[in-house]
Amino acid sequence: MPTVAVLPADVADQIAAGEVVERPASAVKELIENALDAGASAVDVEIFEGGRAGVRVSDDGSGMDRADALLALQRHATSKIRRAEDLVGVQSFGFRGEALPAIASVSHLTLHTAAERGPGTAVRVVGGTIERTEEAPRQRGTTVDVTRLFQNVPARLKFMRSARTEWRAVADAVTAIALARPSVHMTLSHDGRRVMTLPPAPTLRARIGAVWGAEYAESLLAVHDTHNATTVTGLVERPSDVGTRARRIHIAVNGRTIRDAGLVRAAEAAYRSTIPAGLRPSLMLELTIPADAVDVNVHPAKAEVRFRERWPTERAVEGAVRRALGVLSSAAAVGPRVWNGGGAGAGLGAPAYEAGPWNGVPPDGGNGSNGDYDPRGAPNGVGAEILRALASRGDPLFEAADAAGAGAADASRGEAATEIAVPPLVQLRRTYLMFEHAEGVVLIDQHSAHERVLYERFMGALEGGSMASQHLLFPLTLHLSAAAADAFDTHRALFSRLGFEAEGFGGHTVVVHSVPSPHPRFDAERCLRETLDALTGDRQPGTAARHERLAATIACKAAIKAGEELSPGEMRSLFVALARTTLPAHDVHGRSTVVRLPWEELERRFGRR
Amino acid sequence: MRFTISREKLQEGLAMVAASIPSKTTLPVLANILIETTDKGIRLSGTDLDIAVSTEVTADVEVAGAVTIPAKKLTEIARELMPSPVKVATAGEQRVTLECGQSKFKLLGIPRDEFPTFPSVRFADAWRIRSADLHQLISHTVFAVSTEESRPILNGVLWELRPDHMRMVATNGHRLAKMDVPIAGGGAGSSDLIVPPKALDQVRRLFPAEEDLEIARGENHLGFRSPLTSVFTRLIEGPYPPYDRVIPRDNDKIAIIDKASLSGALRRMVIVASDQTHRIRMSLNTGMVKFSVQTPDLGEAQDELAIRYTGDPLDIGFNASYLLEILRNMPTEDVRLTFKAPDNAATIEPEGWSDPAKYLCLVMPLRLVD
Ligand SMILES: Nc1ncnc2c1ncn2[C@@H]1O[C@H](COP(=O)(O)OP(=O)(O)OP(=O)(O)O)[C@@H](O)[C@H]1O
Ligand SMILES: [Mg+2]
Repeated sequence: MPTVAVLPADVADQIAAGEVVERPASAVKELIENALDAGASAVDVEIFEGGRAGVRVSDDGSGMDRADALLALQRHATSKIRRAEDLVGVQSFGFRGEALPAIASVSHLTLHTAAERGPGTAVRVVGGTIERTEEAPRQRGTTVDVTRLFQNVPARLKFMRSARTEWRAVADAVTAIALARPSVHMTLSHDGRRVMTLPPAPTLRARIGAVWGAEYAESLLAVHDTHNATTVTGLVERPSDVGTRARRIHIAVNGRTIRDAGLVRAAEAAYRSTIPAGLRPSLMLELTIPADAVDVNVHPAKAEVRFRERWPTERAVEGAVRRALGVLSSAAAVGPRVWNGGGAGAGLGAPAYEAGPWNGVPPDGGNGSNGDYDPRGAPNGVGAEILRALASRGDPLFEAADAAGAGAADASRGEAATEIAVPPLVQLRRTYLMFEHAEGVVLIDQHSAHERVLYERFMGALEGGSMASQHLLFPLTLHLSAAAADAFDTHRALFSRLGFEAEGFGGHTVVVHSVPSPHPRFDAERCLRETLDALTGDRQPGTAARHERLAATIACKAAIKAGEELSPGEMRSLFVALARTTLPAHDVHGRSTVVRLPWEELERRFGRR
Repeated sequence: MRFTISREKLQEGLAMVAASIPSKTTLPVLANILIETTDKGIRLSGTDLDIAVSTEVTADVEVAGAVTIPAKKLTEIARELMPSPVKVATAGEQRVTLECGQSKFKLLGIPRDEFPTFPSVRFADAWRIRSADLHQLISHTVFAVSTEESRPILNGVLWELRPDHMRMVATNGHRLAKMDVPIAGGGAGSSDLIVPPKALDQVRRLFPAEEDLEIARGENHLGFRSPLTSVFTRLIEGPYPPYDRVIPRDNDKIAIIDKASLSGALRRMVIVASDQTHRIRMSLNTGMVKFSVQTPDLGEAQDELAIRYTGDPLDIGFNASYLLEILRNMPTEDVRLTFKAPDNAATIEPEGWSDPAKYLCLVMPLRLVD
């Protein structure tokens, strides 16, 4: 067992100073983190009146002997580091020796703890002063009981919010830690009512299932990618689900839950063009990076970290999420999830997710009738099995022809010119391409798919890639409306990057000499006219947004339409081109390009299971 | 109506007309073949309303008349019959019986009144043209028409008839094919026609090269006629774009290249070119042309060829599939390419062609924006 010691003043001075406990939720967070640092396998949290009346955290961790228990209550006393160098790559949540004394100084606190051997000690502290220390037997572990929080600090007390609001913050803090450590058994109760029971879970997905329901957990896409020294794992929302339910963010770096707008933005960037602007996805991401590549000692509440190199880290996150969105399982599925027993009975094309059993916070602050956290889909049920299997397989939508190679994922990143194996394709209603996949029947919307292909090609051209432009024998003369002529002038340079070479003839007449040639059926004049129409009246967005808007608009206008008959060769090249895009399963409006009808779903409908 | 016809004659007539019958139609009678008796036999006709084809075959007519019969069924029956005379008779307006040896069929036809009447074209002042000349024009130009629906004019072949020569031009706006052949006293005056390529395909298929044809224009129809067979087609309304203005006169860089080697090099480059644009680059220099292609995600390729070249060095990009298509139609072993600049039209012509016809193709380059 490590022993507690007071840090030398020069070390203590190097620690990010500031307010450690500002509300009940921060006290709860500190206490749970102490329990986890002590190696607890189970942590029970009891909250009274949102924490205003009391907070109690019990663990089965290492516990402390009498001397350590007393020392732990002093400022800068810690067992977790000794010297300033230890701060680099510190693995434990704690390292300041601040939390216990800080809480103790603004409350009535009882620390009841026992180490493996030894009698057990209870220390009573009132407003920071140790009142009583006595022998008190208990099993190995620690219980910290905090009451009358901030009663002696009128300024703080004034800022405490309603019990309901404070409870909400506590529940969020507990959830955040629960997601960071799925293997620890955790319970949470409020005013004597058990609101959450989280058995040890093998994976983040299983833990999310226990918190928000199995159906929710299963609807998320697995992220798993290593780039340079950064591994990004976790779960993110399917584009087709974004905006249909509460948004949830969980970002952890080396096991520590943090806030980081930059990483969130990077992950969101990966969704660009798959969801409508303004919608923001739920993200549960865990980064593992070399300990010395991140500084955890920058924020008094340890809610933020500093990366030695931020840009590559954000790149890694964006890349990992993008890759997750590129697999077949990210496509919308038909019917209810196979593993939920078909209870939802949704019809074809109606996936209709309901929010999990607990959507953020119970509406009544947890005091009411439905505030039960008990997991519906037990993480060790059948569901979790299938789910894990699926998650680990990462089923690529488009198989690479060389099965041995890294596969379609690489091809889709443009790193290798892997041959794409094209399955037999059938065109339905001159609108969809259908093919058979190991997981079931897959349908591709030909227009959406082509739109995705062209979008990426046009974006590439706008971002500095090259584009072939066909000179015309007979230049096109377009007489435009004032607004369309305006839109043309605004975007002139971009149009030319895309291959539309044109000169203005004063007034509203434009003469086009050369045009892109994205496919043999391309109707350049109509595409240009419709694009200009769509662009008229646009506010002046930023450059990046303008690129995307233009690429998306032209892609939409230039893509083959529903109702066009495709030759087998055209179907094959569309398939290959789609497979080579980075986000094959989603079109630029956030709709699906691909819909899966899983075998299980078919079998269920035919009464085979 | 009653007549007897040999199985071969029946099959021959059906084969001529069958291709003009639409495979899908909302007007049921169009799926039928019209059979009418004539002095010497019977006339079979079919149409999809754009093009009408009719042909006469010999038969023994006992009772004159007319009826329409489902084309597909009649063709299938004719194919399977024993090689014996076929007796066809109507009972009433639409019942048809067909007997051949021991085989007997009863078919339900549609009364002839429902069959659309052919456009009236007066052959009184027709052009008289050798079918072979027409064949030559068609086969060298029709490939270049546009298949895109945005400019219907370009979906047709321009056919200019002049007292002493005729010309066909086809283009999709990216490349163009043009051929002239001299004619000896065609007959009627000058005329510019825009003809659907489907009709020209029928003309090529139905009229043997050695026949002389009569060609006459109606309101907005065109008729082709040989003694036994005729084809009528709708014309596309003009005007055709001013193609003559875009044919370069001042291309000063000239390459003479062996056609087979050039096609071979292009076909090799196309393997690595982008599926969409087939873009390849040609670098022309004295005595040598280098080919190169780079396609992101796929790879690159180079090739080179010894050529005769006069002019300054030039780098120019093309859609290789356009070049290949043109080369396939070039009648000579060597071809002559002319250029001006990377943004200007290139021409391709036969080199050392002794034929009285004149042939010119034109390709607009493909530029790489980067
Ligand atoms: N639940 C617990 N079980 C065992 N030891 C504990 C427990 N809580 C606190 N300790 C001991 O008390 C010390 C002080 O805890 P405190 O939370 O004040 O500081 P810290 O965890 O070291 O750093 P920080 O201020 O960053 O949290 C810890 O270093 C640890 O040795
Ligand atoms: Mg601590």
